Amino acid sequence: NIDPESLLPKLPSPEQLRPFPTVTATVYRGHVGRVRSLNVDPTGVWLATGGDDGTVRVWEIISGREVWKIKLADEAVNSVKWRPTQDTSIIAAAAGDDMYLIVPPSIFDPEREIESRKVLEHGYGTAANATKDPLKKEPPGKWTKPEEKLAAEGVVVQVTVKMTIKHLAWHRRGDYVASVSPEGQNRAVAIHQLSRHTSQTPFRKSKGLIQRVEFHPSRPILFVATQRYIRSYDLAKQELIKTLMPGARWISSFDIHNGGDNIIVGAFDKRLLWHDMELSTKPYRTLRYHEKAIRAVKYHTGMPLFVSASDDGTIQVFHGMVYADMMENPLIVPLKILRGHKVTQSLGVLDVDWHPTHFQQHHPQLQTMKPMSQ
Amino acid sequence: MMEIDAPDAQQQTQIQVKFVTRDPEIAVAAAPILVPTNLKRFGLSQVVNHLLSSDKSIPFDFLVDGAYLRSTLDAYIIQNGLSSETTLTLEYVRAAIPPKFLTSFQHDDWVSSVAASTHNKHNNDPVVLSGSYDGIARVWNLSGQVLSEGAGHTAGIKSVKWLDAESFVTSSLDRTLRIWRYTADGTVAASIKPAAEYIGHKSTVESLAVNQQSKQILSASADGTVGLWSALPKQSPAAPEIELPIRSKKRKMAANGPKVPQYGSLAMLKGHQGPVSGVAFAPNDATVGYSVSWDNMIKTWDLTTGVNVTTKKAKNPILSLATMKELNLLACGTSARHIILNDPRENAEAVSTATLRGHTNAVVGLSANPANEWELASAGHDGTVRVWDVRASESGALFTINREGEGLNGNEKVFDVEWSKIGIVSGGEDKRVQINATPKAGEQA
Ligand SMILES: [Mg+2]
Repeated sequence: NIDPESLLPKLPSPEQLRPFPTVTATVYRGHVGRVRSLNVDPTGVWLATGGDDGTVRVWEIISGREVWKIKLADEAVNSVKWRPTQDTSIIAAAAGDDMYLIVPPSIFDPEREIESRKVLEHGYGTAANATKDPLKKEPPGKWTKPEEKLAAEGVVVQVTVKMTIKHLAWHRRGDYVASVSPEGQNRAVAIHQLSRHTSQTPFRKSKGLIQRVEFHPSRPILFVATQRYIRSYDLAKQELIKTLMPGARWISSFDIHNGGDNIIVGAFDKRLLWHDMELSTKPYRTLRYHEKAIRAVKYHTGMPLFVSASDDGTIQVFHGMVYADMMENPLIVPLKILRGHKVTQSLGVLDVDWHPTHFQQHHPQLQTMKPMSQ
Repeated sequence: MMEIDAPDAQQQTQIQVKFVTRDPEIAVAAAPILVPTNLKRFGLSQVVNHLLSSDKSIPFDFLVDGAYLRSTLDAYIIQNGLSSETTLTLEYVRAAIPPKFLTSFQHDDWVSSVAASTHNKHNNDPVVLSGSYDGIARVWNLSGQVLSEGAGHTAGIKSVKWLDAESFVTSSLDRTLRIWRYTADGTVAASIKPAAEYIGHKSTVESLAVNQQSKQILSASADGTVGLWSALPKQSPAAPEIELPIRSKKRKMAANGPKVPQYGSLAMLKGHQGPVSGVAFAPNDATVGYSVSWDNMIKTWDLTTGVNVTTKKAKNPILSLATMKELNLLACGTSARHIILNDPRENAEAVSTATLRGHTNAVVGLSANPANEWELASAGHDGTVRVWDVRASESGALFTINREGEGLNGNEKVFDVEWSKIGIVSGGEDKRVQINATPKAGEQA
């Protein structure tokens, strides 16, 4: 007689998998209405947020102090992302049909500020921008100098696309940033190149409503999520590599593991899916722990941890170990449910990001956002 | 061996105890004595006072195995499964008196840093220096009057320290350090004038340490470096030439007001892999410096050569640092809500000799009691200042000081604490400097 229990793999207890975040450390107060997006800067000192009040704000992470803000538009700021390189401090922010490239003045070292502005201003002199062919079709992105008031406050470039931008994603080297306008049909995805001030639309045909895109962490591959599928494209060869089928009805978000072979997918139908792309186009694991839609998912880049954020008001923290040994499958262990955000008008936690270094060794620290504040 | 009479001495079990203390002024004979096991702190205190046969009764506290005795000896023996044949060693200390709220000074903005000056030049009246997120340094008398203000930083102040009775140094989110001359002519007529600006850090300057003898300053920056600076213009190198972004030139000039001489650093010490949060000079050696960082490291520096002598790695990011002079220990506050005590000597292997637990959020400020080598105050993002006796590391905080004032929700972060002759001075998100008086242990409040 074999005890069936003994056949189950033994999971380590959460206690053995410390450290992971367990309590609220800091609340960032200031936004009026929903906070839509947040992102920790590459130095780990600053947090950028964007919200329904049309503002982008920068906070001192350790103290919770707002150090800078800009009112970009009367519309919500849907996405804020720091340029991911160590040499500059540039925020890409999306509000309405516009992507703003911003260097907050006076917060950073003057040399760094000058370098940041240089990276953004360089493209003003390029040929691509200088000639205007009246017969040519309207470009997918219009690069302009912002109006005087915004320029004085630190907006260096404004890029206008056709439809409302919901999401931004940087290429790791920081010369390209992709924007997603789900209603934009064949112009739903635009890839913008800083050094040349040009925008391209990589897809001629729309294969459904595009939700999110992310660049592969090390190779020239773009992942594109529609409501039901995630497709990866070789950017050099301009061809489809793979189609993942998470089995979710409506994908809200996804994130790619550092190694590039694993993906977590969050869905409005509450499911959290882990894909091991070496194994299958179907999910390796399906996790159903949230009571409401998942809004955001995120891997930690330095530790075997990932999180999902949901309209149920919780953030769930998981251990997620990817082994170097190809034969060994990823180990996933639920660790902790973080509470604290209020659910307002059925919306809970809308975005989540890990601090890149601060608590990397023994006490990972989450930066999360609350849906509403007064 | 002597015996102490207790009312029910005949029926009561007794145990042999040895009373020891580290304070020679209150030492008793080392021989063990028998005491009833039903005694608690108060009874034991009476016994020691009896042994001392002093006129004045001193309240004592008793330490056993790194914790305060809070039960009867009986309960302790049972709890620890000891035999009544054992000889218990009880360390006694003057009972600490709870800090008493004295006063608080309302600011317009968050108070990031505090420093008391008890130098005689201030007409014998102590004054308190505060640094605020509004970018202004203020000197207050204990009646809560602002004696003078120093404005010039173009962003919030993060740290303030007195250099001597007539000068102090500030550091800021604007990446600079500034030295200011403070002149007190009368009670309220005082002035603060900018004396020098120090340039070199590439990110916010989180914390400062000064050595009053060598007139040197250490700075901790979020750029990952430790700055070493001289407060003496003659010994200071010229400021590095810095090109300013075109858009900010006008603003920078306007904010600076009167032209202040600018200097550079003596050295920028590199080695940390994250923001540096705390710095200190070795209490007995101005050529040795310490630094702590978000990278979990505690580093010792030879300030003469700029060499990083030792590096010790704690388990968590460190957010604050204080030296405990007589104990040769560094107290380090962590993001994991506790304080570790570190022996910085090279041959000391353990990173932590003791851990003080009790804060419920990050520990961002630390200061040793200048009048009691065993005591330490800590400032936490949990909205409290806590007072610790490092001999009783297992007992948790001796006292917890909450913020006082109207309209507080109790969660306002405390950013800094300094234990000085005037008491425990702290500042925080409640926009207040708060002072709690700390009567000397053993004296009645
Ligand atoms: Mg990370």
